[in-house]
Amino acid sequence: MSYAYLFKYIIIGDTGVGKSCLLLQFTDKRFQPVHDLTIGVEFGARMITIDGKQIKLQIWDTAGQEAFRSITRSYYRGAAGALLVYDITRRDTFNHLTTWLEDARQHSNSNMVIMLIGNKSDLESRREVKKEEGEAFAREHGLVFMETSAKTAANVEEAFINTAREIYEKIQEGVFDINNEANGIKLGPQHLPSNANTPSGGASASQGGSCC
Amino acid sequence: MFRSRSGSWFGGSGSKPKNPHSLEHLKYLYNVMIKNQTVSESNRSLLVESLRSITEILIWGDQNDSSVFDFFLEKNMLSFFLRIMKQKCGSFVCVQLLQTLNILFENIRNETSLYYLLSNNHVNCIIVHKFDFSDEEVMAYYISFLKTLSLKLNVHTIHFFFNENTNDFPLYTEAIKFFNHSESMVRIAVRTLTLNVYKVGDEAMLNFIRDRTAAPYFSNLVWFIGNHIVELDNCVRADADHQSRGRLSDLVAEHLDHIHYVNDILCLSIDNLNEVLVEQLFQRLLLPLYINSLNKGQIQTKSGDRPMVSRVVSLFLLSQIFLIIHHKPLVVTILKLLINFEGNQIMPSGSNHESSVAIEDNITDEEKEQRMSSSTAVSSNSTSNLTSHLETILDCLDPAENDYEALFGLSLLYAMGQNRGVNEDQPFWNTTEWKSILIAKLVLLLTSACQMTSKIRPVTVDLAINLLIAVAIPNPPNHHGLDDKNLAVLEQAKEESIMVARTFFKSEDMFLELFEAEVNEIIKRPLQVEYLLQDSSILLPPTGTPMTGIEFTKRLPCGEVERARRAIRVFVLMRRLSLAISEEVETQLPLVCVQQCIKISDILDLNNSDLIACTVVNREGTRLRRFLVIDPIQLILVEPDSRRLGWGVAKFVGFLQDVEVTGDKDDSRCLHVTVHNSPTSTTFLSDRSPAHRLPQLAARFVFDDHIRCMAAKQRLSKGRIKARQRKMHLIGKILDVNTSTPSSPPPGTLHALRQDSIARTRHALLGRGVPGNLGISAAGTAFPSPFGIRPIVRCSCVLQTSSNNSNPSTFTLVRAPLGVVSHHVIISRSSISSMRIRPNSKILGQV
Repeated sequence: MSYAYLFKYIIIGDTGVGKSCLLLQFTDKRFQPVHDLTIGVEFGARMITIDGKQIKLQIWDTAGQEAFRSITRSYYRGAAGALLVYDITRRDTFNHLTTWLEDARQHSNSNMVIMLIGNKSDLESRREVKKEEGEAFAREHGLVFMETSAKTAANVEEAFINTAREIYEKIQEGVFDINNEANGIKLGPQHLPSNANTPSGGASASQGGSCC
Repeated sequence: MFRSRSGSWFGGSGSKPKNPHSLEHLKYLYNVMIKNQTVSESNRSLLVESLRSITEILIWGDQNDSSVFDFFLEKNMLSFFLRIMKQKCGSFVCVQLLQTLNILFENIRNETSLYYLLSNNHVNCIIVHKFDFSDEEVMAYYISFLKTLSLKLNVHTIHFFFNENTNDFPLYTEAIKFFNHSESMVRIAVRTLTLNVYKVGDEAMLNFIRDRTAAPYFSNLVWFIGNHIVELDNCVRADADHQSRGRLSDLVAEHLDHIHYVNDILCLSIDNLNEVLVEQLFQRLLLPLYINSLNKGQIQTKSGDRPMVSRVVSLFLLSQIFLIIHHKPLVVTILKLLINFEGNQIMPSGSNHESSVAIEDNITDEEKEQRMSSSTAVSSNSTSNLTSHLETILDCLDPAENDYEALFGLSLLYAMGQNRGVNEDQPFWNTTEWKSILIAKLVLLLTSACQMTSKIRPVTVDLAINLLIAVAIPNPPNHHGLDDKNLAVLEQAKEESIMVARTFFKSEDMFLELFEAEVNEIIKRPLQVEYLLQDSSILLPPTGTPMTGIEFTKRLPCGEVERARRAIRVFVLMRRLSLAISEEVETQLPLVCVQQCIKISDILDLNNSDLIACTVVNREGTRLRRFLVIDPIQLILVEPDSRRLGWGVAKFVGFLQDVEVTGDKDDSRCLHVTVHNSPTSTTFLSDRSPAHRLPQLAARFVFDDHIRCMAAKQRLSKGRIKARQRKMHLIGKILDVNTSTPSSPPPGTLHALRQDSIARTRHALLGRGVPGNLGISAAGTAFPSPFGIRPIVRCSCVLQTSSNNSNPSTFTLVRAPLGVVSHHVIISRSSISSMRIRPNSKILGQV
């Protein structure tokens, strides 16, 4: 399926904050979250529309690879957007944000859009981190903030799409060098001067809000 | 039976069970699969959805009901996946299949369930299936699938993937075909997978890897690193005008990625593998390209050889190696070769690639091996008859037209000195006979850097000082290893730096701001060599113009203000060195010790203090009742303490020196007060923070009448002048400038805050201002402080976090904010002479 831009995202944050569930919730809605089943995924892609333009989001979860420095630093560098996730029911995951952010800033390209996500907003009774604290952290570090729930799907859509919108705006402002793929942004096939290599088979079959 | 048949339009054997997560539903889906073994346009969506549902049930079963897996295994349902895949069914179905498998393997937690899924060879068949990898989406899902599998590897599961008898390990061999894929995320996934594989530590598997794949895989890796470097070098050469910084910075980052990857492998400590890797790295990359480029003028390059890179690039790359890789066998070998004068004995041969071993996606291992064997190792007597590399490195430090090479010579030496692999047995510097030569060169470099017209950048000075400290004072309990001559030269250099700074002290209006900003920068962001070497901009010849976007410390100063900044920075750095040598602790800088200032939510005894009631109206129009208190260095807005009469809680604090006050044309009771965000303020935020640009406070202060308003204005204006004079006076002392006698303490400041006598003495000491017009004309006549006014105060949006103070007990009043500063005055002279120059006039005379 052809697109105007492809944005690469990464999801970062402590283990167990629900990164892979957020990812699956966003990329494949057919997996309905139910109480006795937790499903996540490490990679997903989905098409969205911004300003009438088709934009493909490719999201990579970096979980399980933290031990390898080469891997984390390369991931950061190759991404245009990052979702920095903590769990509102676990204060420690919030306390570690600074370390995550330092790492991200150190390794990423300076234009990377980072969105702060307080996940598990459905578990209000077990909340340990106030929404205001998340907001204050985001304000102090220049991040966009949102509380989400991978369970109820609240704000999940918005989190990914708002990040994309910000990247898109940066492209419009000319901040990103879109010809440099190392920034995590790729021009779609129709933007390239000579490319007949449009994938054919699946092009018609993108209905169902799935992962194309 | 009847009912079930009638209820299904797709020919299933039963109606769809209500509960999507149940064995019944799986059985039902099984029948769907049986009925739809051939993929067609019409059943495509149905199949995809069925596969997805099967996955969901399996994950549910894994977590809740083991009978689900029994059924799945009994019916061999994974084969459906394979069967569908083998029909050329287009990327839509393939992508769904791969995603489904991905989700399945990612979410299985039960070891037994995992064994079930892996127990027949279906997964391996899926791995070797030739998907349409030209489709970006298929590629991404495929490689994620492989990566997910690799995360499931352990000593047990490895046997499902690696067949010892047939020497077959498709998961690994298929993945590494993509190691140089054009898509960075694919390359990263391949690297992750290889690391996950190595990590398992199964001996037979590792033997397979070493014997069958290591040489070609690693040599390809090394080959591509080499290519990157040649490209990097071209980029540096072609870019004297800083035109392609983006590309250069990518290449530098790419090189770092490579080196970190190599290091991650080495860190797994798999001896078999590491041997091969080290051999490949050394023979095909480090020796022929990195090391030999240091003295390339003396090596005859044969045609077909890899081109050499420039010396700067070579030093840069070697520094990165030493900073990142600590694997002893590798770093010690490089080190010996670099610093050994008889270098030719160290390495028997260096080989260069003869053929271009490019690897395309999907070429087989056999092909790779063939290609590799064709690239025979050519022995070159590369290191004989050369000026020693060490000499070259040391010569870089000599004063030259600029410090281009010096910076990299320093970073390489510094990186060697802190490398764990090199320093394991004993500190590296203790063993080198050339230590004294190095020290002398560093001292000379610093001397040159302290000159007014020096072409040495601040970052080079910083690094040289760090290196000198590391070399000369390696273990703090021992004394420094500098001889009298070097000490004298350094003292002279420091004096020179003081003199240069002093010229700006007199001429530069912004000297205070510049001074504090530099001191603050040095304290808050000490030089980190690892970060420095990630910055590609230093690879380009030094430039002076800020229009390149290069940080100030990494270029030459441009204009008078930057020359002043440079002078201050060099002085502060030299001062640090001097203190380090004499093992003294810095007591005078920063000028204000943040710990000693009044902070938000401190509780203050304000009995007998001058308080001016006012209403603070911020931009949004919110009004807060506050009392304005003016301390010798701070402006404080307090709110009465509800528990103790006469005490107040600080709701806002700002430095007087950052205050800007203007009257209001239309309202004589009103002042516009702005407290700028200065480097000294306690809430100073990092540069990248958006709050950084905002003032700490910007509000309208409304007083009860114009008298009080005038009083406040005058105090603020005067307070600002005094605070600045005091600091300038302190700087003057540090710089040995003769400032005039200070006057008596200013009236009306926070006397009451300083309760005990010590504090009062300090206050008196510090209260003395330095005469001299600092250009502020707003100071009016002194008004007695208005007592007994009704306090009405409002404060701006910036009055943040007052509530969260975990320890709201009391503010110790003895803790006079200016305590440190007063302390400074007393000792300032002593540290200047701290280098302990012995009265050896002969040496001094030489300087």
